[in-house]
Amino acid sequence: MAALKHPLAGLKVVEIAHDIGGEFAGLLLARMGAAVVKLEPPQGSPTRAVGPFARDRVGPDASLNFWYYNSNKKSVIADLAAAEGAAVLRGLLGDADILISTLQPAALRALGLDLAALTEAHPRLIVLSVTPFGLTGPWADYKSSDLVALAAGGPLNSCGYDDHSIPPIRPGGDQAHHTASSFAQIGVMLALLERQKTGRGQLLDVSMHEACAVNVELANPYWFYPRVNVQRQTCRHAQPSPTQPALFRCADDRYVYFTLIVAEPKAWTALVNWMASKDMALQLTEPAFTDVAYRQAHFQQVQELVECFFLVQDSHEAYRDGQAAGLPIGVLNAPEDLFDDEHLKAREFFVEVDHEGVGPVTYPGAIYRFSTFGEAVRTAAPNLGEHTAEVLGAGGQNQKEALP
Amino acid sequence: MADFCWMGVGACATRLLADFGAEVIRIEDRNRLDMPRRLPIYKGDVRTYGEEDANPDPNKGGLFNNYNRNKLGVTINMRSPKGRALADRLIASSSVVTENFAPGVMERWGLTYDRLRDLSPQVIYARMSGFGHSGPHAEHRSYGPIVQAVCGLSYISGLPGEEPSGWGLSYMDNEAAFFNASALLTAIYHRNNTGEGAEIDVSAVEAGINLLGPILLDVTVNGRSTRDGRYPTGNRLEHPDAAPHGVYPCAGEDRWIAIAVFNDAEWSGLTAAMGDPDWARAPQFATQAARFAHQDELDAHMGAWTRDKDRHALMHALQAAGVAAGAVQTAEDTNDHDPQIAGRGLFFELDHPVIGEARFEGTPIQFSRTVQDTWRSAPLLGEDNAHVFKGLLGLSADEYDDLAAEGVI
Repeated sequence: MAALKHPLAGLKVVEIAHDIGGEFAGLLLARMGAAVVKLEPPQGSPTRAVGPFARDRVGPDASLNFWYYNSNKKSVIADLAAAEGAAVLRGLLGDADILISTLQPAALRALGLDLAALTEAHPRLIVLSVTPFGLTGPWADYKSSDLVALAAGGPLNSCGYDDHSIPPIRPGGDQAHHTASSFAQIGVMLALLERQKTGRGQLLDVSMHEACAVNVELANPYWFYPRVNVQRQTCRHAQPSPTQPALFRCADDRYVYFTLIVAEPKAWTALVNWMASKDMALQLTEPAFTDVAYRQAHFQQVQELVECFFLVQDSHEAYRDGQAAGLPIGVLNAPEDLFDDEHLKAREFFVEVDHEGVGPVTYPGAIYRFSTFGEAVRTAAPNLGEHTAEVLGAGGQNQKEALP
Repeated sequence: MADFCWMGVGACATRLLADFGAEVIRIEDRNRLDMPRRLPIYKGDVRTYGEEDANPDPNKGGLFNNYNRNKLGVTINMRSPKGRALADRLIASSSVVTENFAPGVMERWGLTYDRLRDLSPQVIYARMSGFGHSGPHAEHRSYGPIVQAVCGLSYISGLPGEEPSGWGLSYMDNEAAFFNASALLTAIYHRNNTGEGAEIDVSAVEAGINLLGPILLDVTVNGRSTRDGRYPTGNRLEHPDAAPHGVYPCAGEDRWIAIAVFNDAEWSGLTAAMGDPDWARAPQFATQAARFAHQDELDAHMGAWTRDKDRHALMHALQAAGVAAGAVQTAEDTNDHDPQIAGRGLFFELDHPVIGEARFEGTPIQFSRTVQDTWRSAPLLGEDNAHVFKGLLGLSADEYDDLAAEGVI
């Protein structure tokens, strides 16, 4: 892949991102070859203060949270609240293609930044704003977080346990921010296509709240059409009314996800044959069970036999054999399991990134593979201010040396 | 775009291009109806999606309407040689071809990237699948919850020591769709610059692994085990030391509010909003670190305080006090009672000849120049056959009528 061209090579991006939504958007562009300069305050991006930290070396250059979202970028210190920092931003915008900002309206006003005016002053500039609620509206300056965004936007309402005395449970991994970043990337690509046609940039105002509100899958059509709200269920689709469990515990105390479909003859036969191959089909081989109506009437019995079937085999064995039988089944991998996955190994998915003082670190590889072009080789996230001098020249060097 | 996509992922991805002006021609099979045409998501009729109609009206399904607005719809029987020849003509007049079948289906029809390039030299061929088009699991059965399980996203979601709560939606169908749309747009941008097309292979599992976040580096750098019984942590965070950080009960049935406090200033705002209760002055709540270490006790106090309050009134009161708080909103709330969303016009209505007026999810981006071109709801089955086959491809009336009579279209 290293030999392939990078589709965004030559594009210059300036990133003012104080949360991982903006940083992930910048990363997606950097991985496609754009040159991303991340402007940070003297104490560093707030994301550098968030753990976990590499080998417990707590500090701005050891945050794994920062590493994950800031590969392939350059770090330049610029205090935008001070005249010198504002001048640095102005200088970089002179030939920038894209400016990323996560600042909410009050923060922009405090810094004297007017994003719409920037697109007037720099007609080719694409300004990508990624904020909790968007730049306009009554909640524009409300505070948010991944949990709050998932709650107010709707996805959280669909996630949790069958037991509704337990609150809705946040799915892991900052997915509200990731959803906003996904739309940010789509917006930038649409704006780049627009610029190819017209030569003009524009302002893109991405709302994390709205991104979540359109990322609820069936909850929206269930409201648009039958006008019903879905109810959360343990590790399976929220539905208007309860459906049977889909998570099965295995002998190794791990889980598989499997939707038991008794109505479809092919899937039913495959399941019974698979269970019979382990002498676990029991009554299910009886002629009565060839009748769909009978199976549906005895669903609870079927469910219990399937539960027993999974309890006596290991989760990965069940995943392998079930898929081999043509059944839709997935093992619930923990992150550490992924590195042993034969499929991911065969596709050479994971990549190694050298981190000074730590050595090679395994990162996830490309999200998409193109036959004629590809991602930039992944490089380590920058140390705080690592590129100040390089990017700003001698003035930057002075600024760097003035740091505590 | 000759769009062979079906189900959710593919249709959601190509919808994003259709919204912004691409002429997307959905190719369907009358004998193998797209699942969203069959799922019983109907006006005035509440069913789970498993409770299918035996003989569904293919033009009545709300989910299909939701995913296929702004597209043209044609039908081709790809099992017939004449159908495949017709598809070839459609591809020859297209610059993008998309599909999300199980690997091997397009090959069975002869539609490899090489063949597509013969038909349309600068073609972009986007292939969207659960596991990608190479490797030993390429042909695994796959849909959203399976992708979420295999990539790790389900496992990292839930209460410690309990079974995972995972996801109550096919999050990865949507996220894979968004990444596929970005990949298509990137390939178009590249082609505009270089004249070069591309074959695109997106594995939803690999996209999902990219969404795990820094927990993955905690494993690879620090040797962290996520199977130690303390992970995942439900609604609490491991990093940073936010507390309170949870979802608390409110007045009403199954009503909740999310509250997240990251520092002393926000804690002061919270306690002021609570009327400075005595318990909050106890030493175990004096610092952020102390609050983080005593979350069981803290959460009990929080829940007791929120329990009789209206979730929206509380959200606004806490936001006024400088605290990140959000009511847990349903689709009903975001659609009909959310002034922030309503003011920005996220959702919109379109009429449909069978369904009538229906609501749609818009794009959560306000563009100052680019215009979203929303011109129609989803096509009826085969609605645009005449327009596409006669109008765009130039079939004569006789040819067209013969194909229709032979069941090719």
